Amino acid sequence: MMKKVLAITMAITMTFGLMACGSTKTETAEPAAPAETTTEETTEAETTTEDAVAEVAAGADVNGDGKVIVGYISKNLTDPFHAPINEYAEKTLNQMKSDGVIDDWTGILDGETDPNKQIDRADECITKGCDAVIVLPAESEASDPAVTKLADAGINVIVVNSKTTSTDARAIAYCGSNDVEAGKMLGEWVVKNVPDGGKYIHCTGILGNSAQIDRGAGIAEVMSAHPEFEMVGEPDTQWSGDKAANATTDAIAQYGDELVAVICDNDDMSSAAQRAANDAGRSDIICVGVDGNQNPLQMIKDGDLGATVLQDGVGQIAAAINVITALINGEEYDSAPVIPFVLITKDNVDEYLQ
Amino acid sequence: MEKNTDGKNEYILQCEGISKAFGGTQALKDVQLYVKPGEVHALMGENGAGKSTLMKIVIGLHKQDKGEIIFEGQPYQVKGPVDAINAGIAMIHQELNPEPHLSIAESIFLKREDTVGKFFLNKKKQNERAGEILKQFDFPYGPKTLIKELTLAQVQMVEIIKAVSSDARMIIMDEPTSSLDSEETDHLFRVIRELKAKGVAIIYISHRMEEIFKICDTVSVFRDGMFITSAPLSEISRDELISKMVGRKVENVFPKVDCKIGDVVFKAENLSGKGFKDINFEVRAGEILGVSGLVGSGRSETMRAIFGLDPIDGGKMYLEGKEIKNKNPRAAINKGICMVNEDRKNYGLCLLRSLRENISLPNLPQKQKGLLINQRREMKECEEVAKQLTVKAASIEHDAFSLSGGNQQKVVIAKWIMANPKLLILDEPTRGVDVGAKSEIHSLMCQFAAKGMAVIMISSELPEIMGMSDRILIYHEGTINGEVTREEILSSSATEEVILAKAFGGK
Amino acid sequence: MTGKIKVKSMNNDNLKMFMGKYGIGLVLLLMMVVIGIMEPTFATSKNFMNVATQVAINGMISYGMCLAITTGGIDLAVGAQLALTSCVLGVTITNSGMNVWTACGVALMVATFFGFLNGFLIAKFNMFPFVVTLSTQLIIRGLSQVISGGKAISLTSEAFKGIYSNKFLGLPIPIVILIVISIIMYLLLHWTKFGRYIFAVGGNVNAAIASGVSEFWTKVGVYTVSGFLAGVAAIIFTAKTGSAQSNIGVGYETDAVAACVLGGTSFAGGIATVPGVLMGIFIIGFIYNGMNLIGVSSYYQSIVKGCVIIGAVLLDMVMNKRNR
Repeated sequence: MMKKVLAITMAITMTFGLMACGSTKTETAEPAAPAETTTEETTEAETTTEDAVAEVAAGADVNGDGKVIVGYISKNLTDPFHAPINEYAEKTLNQMKSDGVIDDWTGILDGETDPNKQIDRADECITKGCDAVIVLPAESEASDPAVTKLADAGINVIVVNSKTTSTDARAIAYCGSNDVEAGKMLGEWVVKNVPDGGKYIHCTGILGNSAQIDRGAGIAEVMSAHPEFEMVGEPDTQWSGDKAANATTDAIAQYGDELVAVICDNDDMSSAAQRAANDAGRSDIICVGVDGNQNPLQMIKDGDLGATVLQDGVGQIAAAINVITALINGEEYDSAPVIPFVLITKDNVDEYLQ
Repeated sequence: MEKNTDGKNEYILQCEGISKAFGGTQALKDVQLYVKPGEVHALMGENGAGKSTLMKIVIGLHKQDKGEIIFEGQPYQVKGPVDAINAGIAMIHQELNPEPHLSIAESIFLKREDTVGKFFLNKKKQNERAGEILKQFDFPYGPKTLIKELTLAQVQMVEIIKAVSSDARMIIMDEPTSSLDSEETDHLFRVIRELKAKGVAIIYISHRMEEIFKICDTVSVFRDGMFITSAPLSEISRDELISKMVGRKVENVFPKVDCKIGDVVFKAENLSGKGFKDINFEVRAGEILGVSGLVGSGRSETMRAIFGLDPIDGGKMYLEGKEIKNKNPRAAINKGICMVNEDRKNYGLCLLRSLRENISLPNLPQKQKGLLINQRREMKECEEVAKQLTVKAASIEHDAFSLSGGNQQKVVIAKWIMANPKLLILDEPTRGVDVGAKSEIHSLMCQFAAKGMAVIMISSELPEIMGMSDRILIYHEGTINGEVTREEILSSSATEEVILAKAFGGK
Repeated sequence: MTGKIKVKSMNNDNLKMFMGKYGIGLVLLLMMVVIGIMEPTFATSKNFMNVATQVAINGMISYGMCLAITTGGIDLAVGAQLALTSCVLGVTITNSGMNVWTACGVALMVATFFGFLNGFLIAKFNMFPFVVTLSTQLIIRGLSQVISGGKAISLTSEAFKGIYSNKFLGLPIPIVILIVISIIMYLLLHWTKFGRYIFAVGGNVNAAIASGVSEFWTKVGVYTVSGFLAGVAAIIFTAKTGSAQSNIGVGYETDAVAACVLGGTSFAGGIATVPGVLMGIFIIGFIYNGMNLIGVSSYYQSIVKGCVIIGAVLLDMVMNKRNR
């Protein structure tokens, strides 16, 4: 009996141990020797160029523990838009760690699209002694305490992708795109491709998300200037492709040939909507959305989808990491870089398709 | 051991020097068992004597620590019940647990289905084969009937048919009659005799002395994990057998004491409900009222309704002269009516909770101090009542699960004694209880009566009901079909035959 | 010979009893030691304070869930209850300008009412708790979308946000709430009639009825308490995020069920202890916190969580084998 108990307890501990080992291995993927030289280099740097060290301490090492630690609170690990962002961050920050630019980072903390969890992760960044934290907020209002909490602890917060309420006041930088612009681009694409106008539906993201609100505003701005278009439905499709596809088939059944376009707040939804329309023999319906996920890009390449508006998430996170590098180097940085949206059609899809 | 020299082939099953320990408890110590083909071999002993453990070893549910089993002259070692059936030994369990949604045919051929190819069932062939077998046994239902439509006795018969059809040369029956009425029991005995004539050996486990003497040829007695004796039943008397089992001489089988009978405590007037109608009776303080009748004759149904478990459709009840209504058991308990249910497993105890919690469950309203339970007082009172009822447990904090059937029954009684009822109803209080605990429960009933409680006891065992009751009501098909008094029993003017005749509807 | 066996068995038995009772505590302790060795910042009072504050929300939900599971049921509506209570708070405080404490009272009443409704449907019509709460969950979430108009309502009242950020005797309020509710739950489950009835109904409902226990009121009571606790959780949640939204609390029942199971709550019903569940709550909290501090990649975290839960349940089954 006792043996069994022991075995299980051991198994649990080992799972823990293994996971931890696994993670350290990926972090120090470089051979052991360069890692050692890195530490030597940093000590060297500290002893030789005192001025530079002072600058680093002033700019990056805010808590004065002699280490620069970076935190990364993701929005989630599951959404296809966030996957390449997380991947880029992981690769770059690991590289920076092995190059000795930063001493450590938290790894990708899972925000689970839940402001409550994001606030908890902020607590952990503070405990871990982070000097700069990148936050990709789940909600504009509810995730805000994560930003303020970190800022209260004197940590440099860089907000990425969407703003929280006090981002302008408390974060040192916001790296994002203007979602109203994206909405306008969606509207313009539809206007351009359906010159005669007609009925369209607008599949929304989760109500209350800033991206949903701003993109919707952009779409409305363009479409209201074109009276030949009539919006016949605004289904609450919650960023979900599946729900958008259902909404599309329903609309086709209801309005038949009068339905000319499906405008979606993201392109998970627009690609699913287009697929549903194509399956219903209505490939003439223009479906368009924002993000530039791989699946819609592939559809554009295959000629199944007309266009999508790429939100350059990787560009956003790259800008955020640039801010951190600038902090460390004591350089000036842009506190609000705007990363432009890109309209992707068959002509330029190859550049973005991996 | 000398029997062994008579010739190896005389016995179908030989168990020698079997020992088995669970943790630190020695369940079996060097026991033996010899069974001849075509005999009905009784296994007797109090609960926990080791009979069930030995049988579980034989069908492969446990593995012995020491010892050897020889079946039909071959060393025998099986991995589980299915393996045992293939080897020729089947067991009919005390609590039958077949899948209720299977048909009779599916149940009979469970785990050895007729198949087409490897995976597909050949239902037609299976039903045909099952039909033939059922005909051989004069079974009144077809092979497609679902198990859940059968009575308990019929389900048991299906189990027996299943064992015989799988060519079992030995069938173990654990308390086969515990849920059968006398008619069904007679039918079972006829089947046992037929099997015996075919040379099938039967190991028969039962606490019912009458049955043992009626149907069995040989008896092996166990006590405290040890083999005590084995003898042909023709050579051993009932009293001898009991004293071998309990290890002491039981002077008086039923310790009935005559108490002073007082005023009427409870009176039922034209009571009707599901399964009974126009029931009239009264029971007095200090009286033990026996209720007899066949299973399903309405005796348990009446008592459940009085206790508030089932609804009453008509009639009136009076407690100490005042009319009462019991919407639910809580109402009955508050008025001083308590009932020990016949189905101990389902209605008796929360097996995974401690004895203390079980005993105090119906009595918690009296144990509160403000919002909270006065745990010290609760513990003290539970300990007292457990001691009074001689519950054998290491501590009242132990799970009820760990107790033997007899001790569990005492815990059920304990919780009602703590409620200090005016009327205590006991439905089959000694079913599945070993001989020692049985007589203890009987003495307790007398003590309660002596304290002025009115006691109603339902029992299917005629000797028990005749030995313990001041008066006996006999049910037949939902009505009371007669009444006999203790005087009539003592003067032998009311015999078992008289009571049985009334139970079957005679006058 | 027999004497020897007896002595040995006694020791074995005592050890088993001990492990059965405190096995989960050992797991918790072991976990803390392992994480503490791997990451020194883990073992700081500040971090423990953080974790205790973090687990308060799941703690409230888990206690309610524990009661439901103990009666042999489950409460899947807790996540939606969280959203509804949050939206009620938003509407009353921000939109109607109600006094913060009155608003909290109203919100708790709403949560308690829907808990009662769950219990009533389950007990009155003898429906499966899984089905009932699965359905009411949709209704409750829908209602929260209706009253909030699907939008986030921001709560700027400092008094309200103080429920999360203020301190009492040096402890953050969520920890104080966790302590108070833990004590109340302990007394409720182990020291009151109601608690005993919960165990009895879960352990053997027929025996409970035959002992004069009302199945109806016990079940109604259980889900009502669960609703109330979800309401308390929602107040902490909303004060923490400063925003009332209808989309919060999705999947929160998973962590609550996990904490209950880790704490030795039996899905067969009739077995649970409040200290056990509290330890389960902390194990779940430490899994997240510890792995993030060690730097375990988030991609592996749910795998580890799943393994720990299965491991702990196996452990529990091995410990309690003698009981089954």
